[in-house]
Amino acid sequence: MSVIGEAPKLAAFVRRDFRILLSYRVGALGGLLGIIAQVVALSFLGKLVDPSRLPVFDGTRATYVEFVVIGVCLNMAVLLLLHELSRAIRNEQLTGTLESLLVTPTRIGTVQFGSSLFNLLYVPLRLSLFLAVIAIVFGLDLHVGGILPAAVLTLEFLPLLWGIGLIVAGAVLRFRRGAGTIGAGVAVVGIGSGVFFPLSVLPGWLARLDAYNPLAIVLNALRDALIGGAGWRALATPMLELLPLAVASVAAGILAFWLCLRHERRAGTLGLY
Amino acid sequence: MHGRLDAPEGGGGVGRCSHMDEARRSVLARDVVCRFGDKTALDGIDLAIAPGEIRALLGPNGAGKTTLIRVLCGLMKPQEGTVFTSGRVGFVPSGDRSFYMRISALENLIFFARLHGLRLRQARIRAREVLAAVGLADVTSRPVGRCSHGMQKRLSVARALLVSPEVLLVDEATHDLDPEGARRIRALIRGLADEGAAVLWTTQRVDEVPDFADSVTLLLQGAVVFTGSPAQLAARAPSARYLIQVRSRDRGNAPSLPAVQLAAGPGTAIMATNDPGYFVLAPRDPDGLGVAVARLVGAGLDVLACRQAQSEMEEAFLVLTRAAA
Repeated sequence: MSVIGEAPKLAAFVRRDFRILLSYRVGALGGLLGIIAQVVALSFLGKLVDPSRLPVFDGTRATYVEFVVIGVCLNMAVLLLLHELSRAIRNEQLTGTLESLLVTPTRIGTVQFGSSLFNLLYVPLRLSLFLAVIAIVFGLDLHVGGILPAAVLTLEFLPLLWGIGLIVAGAVLRFRRGAGTIGAGVAVVGIGSGVFFPLSVLPGWLARLDAYNPLAIVLNALRDALIGGAGWRALATPMLELLPLAVASVAAGILAFWLCLRHERRAGTLGLY
Repeated sequence: MHGRLDAPEGGGGVGRCSHMDEARRSVLARDVVCRFGDKTALDGIDLAIAPGEIRALLGPNGAGKTTLIRVLCGLMKPQEGTVFTSGRVGFVPSGDRSFYMRISALENLIFFARLHGLRLRQARIRAREVLAAVGLADVTSRPVGRCSHGMQKRLSVARALLVSPEVLLVDEATHDLDPEGARRIRALIRGLADEGAAVLWTTQRVDEVPDFADSVTLLLQGAVVFTGSPAQLAARAPSARYLIQVRSRDRGNAPSLPAVQLAAGPGTAIMATNDPGYFVLAPRDPDGLGVAVARLVGAGLDVLACRQAQSEMEEAFLVLTRAAA
């Protein structure tokens, strides 16, 4: 079946996962309450932070809430995307449905993408809710002119994440474990990228690593755009820096996932948990 | 559409066949070899199933039955040999959990139908049709997790029916069902075969083969040790044994073993059981049962019951697997 022929099947995956989400109403509600709790916690933490120690973005000094909300949103997106991408096939193995899916004329790539798609759509919704709650409670003051460049930069960041997600997905397919490793990895990268605090508070050698850290590059650019109002010209450099990384990441991800898949098929263990 | 598939170097293949004698086969496997590390799971398997034929695939645990099904489904690629299936393939897996337990039977089938390329509207119609076909029309909105085990098995058959399969691969569908549930599943499969589907029926329940399967393949340690009809398999069994219940006509009590042995004569071995009046009778030739019963009756003993002590199929299965091992 052609790639275009596979497209309608994605809607079937979204419908399936929406139905499953509805069957876990309490869990879904809990997730939303968790977002609100996170907002409340951040507001109290913000009271402890000396505003003069916060960085200036394109001439504008950020409040702690403005500073941290962008970091938390991006970090949450990274965590959820990596988690969902890597779990897609694994979940099917655990539920025992993978073999039933694979005997249909459906590509494994469609199964993987389709099983992640609902959450890929759900994550922006959750993040929007997160931002909306903060905007209402704290009167979040973000530059409207920076939203479009920020959105484009975020879209450019997605392939890079996708590639990493595929590598992790391949590892999970091959070794059956990995969720804990993803969480730990994202937490470490988050700390080293200035999600919760400015990198200036880190030891000098560690702070200098942010020049090679894609998450830190994106995060700084997003804060420049949304807090400082930096436009396309200011974001051109990080966009160009990300491009080769994104291409390399996707290529490496596809190769790694394909190798792991081939191994599992040959070993006859693809459907096993 | 038919096309020839050549085995690629260093690996097997799955496809369709074009040989004249093979073209009438819906399933054809030739010299299939599958290895997992040092273990050879399938060792040169040949298999051919015609349209409308139910082939029972027997074998002890670890014989390679599920591996063969996986190869035929395309879930595994054999290291050597070729596999051909013609037309749409339906698969009924052995596992208990091959559905999304939190959503309804109907939603599950709609989902799988759409993966087969049906649009939402068509998928919904087809899902309802197959649910009705397997007798689950009244549980369409019930989450699969709340369906009984037998219902889930029927749902699994319904899923295989979504594509109107020309080849149906069934992996131990009845091994943990009650007799009535197992009978319903077999009736469904028989109906499909009568409509022309070629069925490979993997089972450990040897007793269900004679009245159900058209042919039998017996696997042992990844190799075929028998292929033929159920009757031919039964013929491999040693002489049958029968359990008889006997009572003295005059006294109305259970006779002793020596009395029964004397009455039956030298052509039949008689053994006692733990229950008075019940004996195991093993005739030494095909006419021995009738002769022995006539002699017992003639000697003043009433034969109240007589039934085969053990299935001939089971005996044959044990004889063949032990001999090959």
